[in-house]
This record gives sequence, structure tokens and C-alpha cells, in this order.
Amino acid sequence: MLKKKICMVGQFGVGKTSLVRRFVSSIFDDRYLTTIGVKIDRKDVSIDGKSLTLMLWDLAGEDDLAELNVAHLRGASGYVLVADGCRACTLDKAAELQQRITRMLGPLPFVLVVNKADLRDQWEVQFQQVAQYGWPTFETSAKAGSGVEEMFLGLGAALLRAHPASEVREP
Amino acid sequence: MPTDGAAKRPASDDQPLAELRAILLGPEREAWESMRQRLDNPARRAEDIASVLADAVRLRSDAKLRRALQPLLEEALQLSVQSNPRMLADALFPIFGKAIRKAIASELDGMLQSLSQTLEQRFSWRSLQWRWEAIRTGKPYAEIVLLRSLLYRVEQVFLIHRKTGLLLQHVTDTAKTKDPEMVSGMLTAIQDFVRDSVSGAEGENLETVRMGDIGVVLTYGPDAILSGFVRGVPPRNLARVFQDTLDTIERQKAEALHSFAGETAEFDSCRPQLKACLVGQGKPDQRKATSWAAGALLFGVPALVILALAGWWIYSTAIERRWSNFALRLNSEPGIVLTGFEKRGGTHYISGLRDPLAADPAALLAAEDLPAGKATFHFEEYHSLDSRFATQRRLVELKEELQHRAFRFPTGSAAIPPEQRFLLDDVAAQMLSLIQAGSALGRNIMIEVRGNHDPAGAELLNSVLARSRAENVQAALISLGVPAVRLTSIPEDQGRETCAAVKEEERLFCRSASFRVIGVP
Repeated sequence: MLKKKICMVGQFGVGKTSLVRRFVSSIFDDRYLTTIGVKIDRKDVSIDGKSLTLMLWDLAGEDDLAELNVAHLRGASGYVLVADGCRACTLDKAAELQQRITRMLGPLPFVLVVNKADLRDQWEVQFQQVAQYGWPTFETSAKAGSGVEEMFLGLGAALLRAHPASEVREP
Repeated sequence: MPTDGAAKRPASDDQPLAELRAILLGPEREAWESMRQRLDNPARRAEDIASVLADAVRLRSDAKLRRALQPLLEEALQLSVQSNPRMLADALFPIFGKAIRKAIASELDGMLQSLSQTLEQRFSWRSLQWRWEAIRTGKPYAEIVLLRSLLYRVEQVFLIHRKTGLLLQHVTDTAKTKDPEMVSGMLTAIQDFVRDSVSGAEGENLETVRMGDIGVVLTYGPDAILSGFVRGVPPRNLARVFQDTLDTIERQKAEALHSFAGETAEFDSCRPQLKACLVGQGKPDQRKATSWAAGALLFGVPALVILALAGWWIYSTAIERRWSNFALRLNSEPGIVLTGFEKRGGTHYISGLRDPLAADPAALLAAEDLPAGKATFHFEEYHSLDSRFATQRRLVELKEELQHRAFRFPTGSAAIPPEQRFLLDDVAAQMLSLIQAGSALGRNIMIEVRGNHDPAGAELLNSVLARSRAENVQAALISLGVPAVRLTSIPEDQGRETCAAVKEEERLFCRSASFRVIGVP
């Protein structure tokens, strides 16, 4: 069985936890995030007949007071950058985090998620701003559930591409 | 001088010589030039030395080279440790980890030995069984005690990749398990959390987590973590079992662990080793019952013993009090003087002086409801000066005296002969003294006057004679002041043997009136 450690990162309040809540298997309470700063969930995806288990490390969001705990990033195979479409600053924060993670762990597969698609009319984030980075981007709505499954599939495919095919075995 | 001549020689003359030189020395000159370049160029020189360095070192394996290299190697190691301590630690871990654990194990053995000595003093049926097991298996007694006292079961074992927190393998002996993948990740996260929370814990690891009856044992290798969920109280050597298993896995799968990229199938072959870690002893579920029983044993048995001891103490104190009361009573008894009262081997030895007229100690013992078999009496006789005993003795003397008195009568006569009348006053005085002494002791003294006859003569006449003799003496004594109620006349002394005297002087003694005192012991 192929398993990958994935980190969910993004500024405080962008909806990382809500984003995964309805789509993953979880045995831990959300309170873990505020107490020990991390909560681990599991997402199984199947891409081209290959099973992949994503262990999602939902890291407590970074804000002015709390910094991202880099120890939790160790060993990650990829990550999900989450931004809030209603707050442009969260996209900047996502870009900053991407740079920091790349410096720390080297180039890793990742996807950008612009969340709160259900509030599209209130978005501050413009298409050009997202497009300038040229990253694989998904618009999601944790509330409506749109785009989340696709995002995980996209990330899974990126991980499998990064993982040499010879090492992938049938489950 | 030829050299001067040569120097002055024109250049055209040198041409053929140069050509000759080129012909003769040409190849050598090229070789020399190449050699010179190699010697002048440091890069070329390094290449040359590198190609022969290994062989040169092998050839020069003497102390001089070692001495020369020693400071260099030391410095290099020091630099390596300063810049990246983890690399050296990882490299040395397989050697040192085991050695350190061995040293600690031997230290623990020492501790167990001293614990053994402490426990030697304990004595119980279970400890006897354990002692026997220790003799049988050759293990220290304390180790057996520890092993048998602990109830635990390893319910789940996780083999976790240290860097990613991903679960490599999971084995369990219980059906109720939550998603082990997430548990594995969370265990790693919690470890980071604890390390972050405790300053100065860099390089330290979380070794146990405990919540009520469940504990988590964590052991670490350079690339993997072996963790077990344990129900009950695990023995100290459980972590050692885990660590040994992890060391073996780290050794066997070093490459796979190092280059792990998410594929766990490579670790399927570790499952038997992990299953061997699902050890346990007893049924931890029964712990409560056992602890209840242990509690009952721990507190109940001593409580019962204390109760029994208290009961026995109260009983024996009561019994002893009765014995000492008995001793006091004996001592206060008139005519008894206690000189010794002691208990030896459950028997009371009582000694002293006792007036024959005093109360019987054995009877007093029975009255106190004390067992006669538990007492041995040794009393010397003496005469008490107590007035009661003096009076009693006087009473006995008076009785004896009176019973030796008798009035003699001639043949066929019942009248008191004149020569014996003077005796009447004397006997009356004796009787009055006797009655008085008896009254002083509260005794109701009665005196029988008995008439007797000799064997001669007719039976009927003899009978009349005997009665008359008794009545006459009774009447005479009453007339002298002896209270009539105290005197009774008996016609014939029925209890007395038949007077068989044949001689006259003997018959005189048969024809008499005598006295018997009633009411004096």
C-alpha cells in the first residue's frame, strides 16, 4: 500500500479544517488543533486503478501570533496550500508559505486551494493574482462541498507523477 | 681552456651538435619534460598520489603512520560531531544502543538482587511458590515476583516511519482498533508536541504515555519507532523486548527505511517479529477482581489477624483476671496464707500455708469456675491464730473431752451412784462451754445422752435399764442448768458395738451413760 504524508497549510481561518472535515476519515476531535497544533486525518484516493492513502496533517493556521510548527512538516511528500477567496492577504500568505516550505523541504508536489467558492461575489482574490503563480489551483467550497474531491485527486495524481512508477505497487 | 674555446665558438658551429643532441637525447628530453610538468602541476601530483595512496598506506602499516594520522583523525571526528552530530550518532547507534542497554540491564539486575534481599523477609504461600519457581528456573527471586505480580497485555503494536509518521506495519490481538494510520501519525505529532513543550528536550524521546489502565510504550531507532498499546501494568523489561525487536528490524531493513517513499509492502516481512511483541500475562480485565482480592488479602487478612489477636488478648486477660481474683480471694480466706502464685506453661502453681480448718482451695477454684487441671496446690499446714479457728479448735477439744466422759452404774441399777454425782457438775459445765462455743460459731450443738447396759441379763430388762440410765443423767444435767432443748436421751447406743465384756470390772464400763455431740465436725 502506498501512503503519503500531506500537510494542509494556510493562514488562520481560511477553512483548512472545514475543507477536509466532510471528505476524510477522522477519529480525532478538532480541539487537537488548538491544543497540540495538529490533527491527523486520512483520505484514500484511487487514481488510474492505483490506491493511495493520504495522511493529512492539518496544521494549526499561521497568524501574527502563532508560527507554523516546522517539525510537523518533516517527511511530507506534498502539501495543500489553502487561501480564502474573500481575503487577498491569505493568498500572499500562501505564497510565502510555499517559498518557506520549498526552502525547507525542496520542491514538492502541492496544490493551491482557494476556498469559500460559495461566497464568490465577495471575493477579493482575482483570477490574475492566482494565475501569476502558475500553480495547480482548485476553487473549493467547504460549505457546498464543491471542488474538494477533485483537489484531492489532483494532488494524488501529482504525487504519483513525482513517485517513480516502478516503486508503485498494486494494492 | 677548452670551455673558453667552446664559448667563443660561432653559433653555426653548434648546429650540428644540436642536431646530434636532438637525435641522441630527443625521446628522453620529452619524457623529462613530461616528468617536470607532472611535478610542477599540483593537480597532476594529487592524481598520481591518489592512485597509489591506498597501496602506500597498506604497505606502511606501522606505528609511525598511525601516530601521524591520529591527530588528523581526531580533529576530523571532532569537526564532524560539531557540524552534524546526528550522522555519527546514527552510525554508532547499532553498537552503543545495545551496549548501553546491556549495561543498564546489568545495573537493573543488581537492583533486583538488593530487592531480592528485602523480599527474602516476606513469607506467604504465594511467595513460597515464587521461591520454588526461582529455584527451578534459576532466575532471581525478585524477578519472579515482578513477573508474577504484573498483569498486562500488549494489545497493539505499531511500526512507524520516524520521519513521516506513516504507519509501516500494525499488528493487534483485539478487534476493536481505531484507524491505526491516524493513530500512528498522531503518536508522532504528540511526540513533537511534547518535545516542543519541554525546553531542553532536544534529542530526548517520549517513552511512555499513560491513561488509566492503558499505557503506550515507545521505543526509537534512527529511522523507525516501535510503539505498543499496553493494557495493565507492563514489566520494565517490556521496553527492552520492544527495543531489541526494533534494532533487529532497523538492521534488516536499513536501506528500505532510509529510502522509504510511502510503500509499506516492503515491511510485510516484519509482521512475525511484531506479532512476537504481542505479549502479556494474566487477564488484565480481571485486574479489578484481582486487585479487590489483593486488597482483601492485603487489608482483610491483617484485620482478621488483628481481630483474632485482640479477641485472644481480651479472653486471656479476662482469664488471668479471674486467676488473680482467685489468688486474692485465697489470700483473704481465713487460715490461708499465699506465699507463691505463678504461671508456668499454662499451669498455675499456688503455694502457701493453710490451717486444716480453713476452706479447701480446690473447692474455691470450682466456685470461681476455673479449671481444676490448670492449678497445682502446695500448702504447708499451720494453726492460724484467727479467733474463729481458736474457737473451733476449742469446740473440737470440748467435744472430744465430752465424748470421753461416762457415768458408771451398778448391775441392775439406773440410779446415778452417789460417788459419781460430783461428776455431774463437771460434765454440765463442759456442756455449757460446748454450747456457748458452738453458738459463737453459729452452730446449733445437740448432745445425745446414751444409755448402755452389759450383755448379762434379760434383753427387756437391759433395755429398760439403758433408757432409764440415759433419762436419769439427762434429768440431772437439766437440773444443773444445761438447756433441755440441747439434750436428747437415746435408750441404747445403737451404733456402738455390743458390749461383750465378760469380767465384772469390764462390765462396769458397759453399764454406763455416755455422750455424743452432734453439730461439730
